[in-house]
Amino acid sequence: MLTIKNLHATVDGQEILKGLELEVPEGEVHAIMGPNGSGKSTLAHVLAGRPGYTVTAGSVHFKGRDLLALSPEERAREGVFLGFQYPVEIPGVNNVYLLKAAVNAARAHRGEPEVDAFEFLTLVREKMRLMRMDDSMLSRGVNEGFSGGEKKRNEILQMLVLEPSLAVLDETDSGLDIDALKIVAHGVNTLRAPNRSQLLVTHYQRLLEHIVPDAVHVLVKGRIVRSGDRTLALELEKRGYDWLIGEAA
Amino acid sequence: MNGAVLNRLKEEFGAVRAALPESVIGSARRGEALEALCAQGLPGTRDENWRYTDLRRLEQARFAPAQAQAAVLPPLPTAPEGYVRYVFLDGRLHTDADAPHGVVVRTARSQEPGSTPWRLEARLPEARLALLNETFATDAVSIDVAPGTQATGIELLFVASAAATEGASYPRVRLALGAGARVSVIERHLGRAEAHSLVNSAVHVDLAAAATLTHYRVQQLGAQAAWFDTLSAELAAEARYDLLAVGAGALSARSTVHARLSGRGAAMSLAAAALADGQQSLDLYALSEHIAPHTRTEQTFRGIASSRARAAFNGKVIVRETARGTDSRQSLRGLLDGTQCEIDLRPQLEIYTDEVRCSHGATAGKLDENMLFYLLSRGIAPEAAQHLLKWAFLEDVIAKIAPRDLRRQVETTLLGQMRDLDTLKELL
Ligand SMILES: Nc1ncnc2c1ncn2[C@@H]1O[C@H](COP(=O)(O)OP(=O)(O)OP(=O)(O)O)[C@@H](O)[C@H]1O
Ligand SMILES: [Mg+2]
Repeated sequence: MLTIKNLHATVDGQEILKGLELEVPEGEVHAIMGPNGSGKSTLAHVLAGRPGYTVTAGSVHFKGRDLLALSPEERAREGVFLGFQYPVEIPGVNNVYLLKAAVNAARAHRGEPEVDAFEFLTLVREKMRLMRMDDSMLSRGVNEGFSGGEKKRNEILQMLVLEPSLAVLDETDSGLDIDALKIVAHGVNTLRAPNRSQLLVTHYQRLLEHIVPDAVHVLVKGRIVRSGDRTLALELEKRGYDWLIGEAA
Repeated sequence: MNGAVLNRLKEEFGAVRAALPESVIGSARRGEALEALCAQGLPGTRDENWRYTDLRRLEQARFAPAQAQAAVLPPLPTAPEGYVRYVFLDGRLHTDADAPHGVVVRTARSQEPGSTPWRLEARLPEARLALLNETFATDAVSIDVAPGTQATGIELLFVASAAATEGASYPRVRLALGAGARVSVIERHLGRAEAHSLVNSAVHVDLAAAATLTHYRVQQLGAQAAWFDTLSAELAAEARYDLLAVGAGALSARSTVHARLSGRGAAMSLAAAALADGQQSLDLYALSEHIAPHTRTEQTFRGIASSRARAAFNGKVIVRETARGTDSRQSLRGLLDGTQCEIDLRPQLEIYTDEVRCSHGATAGKLDENMLFYLLSRGIAPEAAQHLLKWAFLEDVIAKIAPRDLRRQVETTLLGQMRDLDTLKELL
C-alpha cells in the first residue's frame, strides 16, 4: 500500500525528515511513535502533499504509484486521508456540504455519478451516531466552535464517510477523554479491511490497547530508528525514548 | 477640470430644465440645488473621503437624465415571496403596484404638483451627489408607513438601461415610518449587462419613535456601469434600522451613508459585503452619528478584492457630547486575492463624551493557508477551495439576509461573479 524509501524533506529550508524508510502493507495498521519534534506531523503532511514541505530525496509509492507526483487534492481523491493533529476551523463553510463535496470529488475522479443527497445524509447520520456526535454539528461550519475532542471526532467522521485506502491519523487520540477514545478507536476499527491501511501517529500506548497495530515504529530525528510489534509500544511506555535517541545519534 | 465639468452641468441643466417634472421637484428648488452643488464643487480624489472612489465616469458623463424610452426590461429576478414590487427604468416608474395595507406609495404619477417633496441634504456633511440627484431627478418614490402598521415587504427595482452618453438615471427614494411601524424594504439596482450607465441614487430614511426598518440594498449593476449613491437616515427614540448592503456589480461604485441617531435608545446596524474583481472599484463611506443617549450602532464590513480591483470601507463613528451610554461596534475585514488588488479599511472614531462602549477592529489579509490546505486534503480543487473560502468570508453578512429568495439570488449573483457557479452550488 505505502512504501517510503530514503525520504528526505525540508520545511523552510530546514531538513526534518532524514532518510525515512517505511513499509505499510495492505490491510495493516501501523503506529508511529516518537518524541515531540521528531517529524511525525511532517511525515503526515508530506504524505498529504502540503505546500511548503519539500521532498529533497527519496520516494513514496502508494498502491504502486508515485505519490509525490500527485497534487494534494489528487491524493485525497485517490484515497489518501489525513486526520489533522490540529483540525482547522472554517467558519462559513458548512460541515456536511464539505463532506459531500469531498465525496463527490472522489466519485467524479473515479468516473462515478454524484452521490444521492438523501442516501448521503442517511449515511452521514449513521456514522455520526457511531461517533456519538450531535446532529447539530451537521449544520455548523467546519469545526467551527467545536471542542478539541469534537474536532477529532469530526475528523474520524470524515474518514468513515470517505472510506480512504490509506488513512494517516496524526494524534487523533490526543485531547480525547476515555470514552471518546473508545469511540474513536471503534470508528477506526470499523474501517479495518484487507484493502485498507492505516498509519496512526500517537504518543500513547493507551490508544493501541483499543486499536491493536500490526507494527509499531519509532521516529526519532527524522528517521525510523526501531520497528517492532505492539510490545514495542509497551516498552516505550516504560522506558521513554532516551535509549533510542542515543542509538539515533 | 472641476470648473469645466460644472459649466457643462449648468448648460445641460439649462437645456432640460423645463422638461423636468415639477411634481417631483420644483424647478426653483432644482436650480437652488445646482447652485449649492456648484458652490461646493464636485468631489475629487484629493478630498479625504473620496480618495478611494473612481470618479472618472462623472467627468465624462452626460448629467441630464436619459430619455424615457419604451425599452424592454432585461430579465428580472423573480420577486421575493411576500414583497410588493415596483420597477423603475432609468429613473422612472415602469411597473406600478398596489401599495400594501397601511402604506402610501407616491411616485411622479401620483404626486400633485407642489406636493411637499423632501430634501435629502439638509444635515448631510457630504451631500454633493444628492444635490446632483435633486437637480435632475425624473421620478421619486415616497413611501409612508402608517404608525403602528406591520406592513408587507416592498421591493424597489431600479433598472439602468441607457448608456451614460445618453444620460444618467436618478433613483430617488423616501422611506418614512410612523411611530411603531415596521416594514422590510428591498432596494435593488441592476442593469443591462453591457450598459455603460451612470446611476446616481438618493435615499432618505425617516424613522419615527420605535419604528423598525429592515433595508436590503443590492447593487448588481452591469460590469460597465457606474453607481453613485447617497443615503441619509434619521432615527427617533427606540427606532431600529437594519441596513444590509451588498455590492457586487458596476465598474465603479460609491455609496455614502449617513445615519443620525437622534432619539434616545435608537439602534442601527450596517452590514456590508463587497466583492470586487477585474478593474472594479467599490467604495462605501458610512458615518454613524450618535446624538441621543443610549444609542447603539454596529458596522460590519466584509470586502474581497481580486485581480486589479479595489474594495474600500470608510467607517466613521461620531459620539456627540449628548450621547452618553452609547454602544458602538465595528468589525471591518478585507480579503486580498492577488498582488495588484487593494483593500482600504478606515475605521474612525470621534468621541466627545465619556460613558461609551466602543469596540472596533479592522484587518485585511490573504486567504488562510491552513484552511486552503484542509480543503485540498479533502479532495476539493484549488480554485473551488479559494472560492469556497471567499464565500465563507462573505457569509457573515450574507447570512443576515432573511428573505430566502433574496438570499438565494444574492448568493447566485456572487457566485456568478466568482465565475464558478457549477463547482460551488453544491456547497450552498
Ligand atoms: N515552518 C517550519 N520551519 C522550521 N522548522 C519547522 C517548521 N515547521 C516544523 N518545524 C520543525 O520540524 C520539527 C518536526 O516537527 P513535527 O511537527 O513534524 O514534529 P512532531 O513529531 O509531529 O511533534 P509533536 O509530537 O510535538 O507533534 C520540529 O522541530 C519543528 O520545530
Ligand atoms: Mg505532530
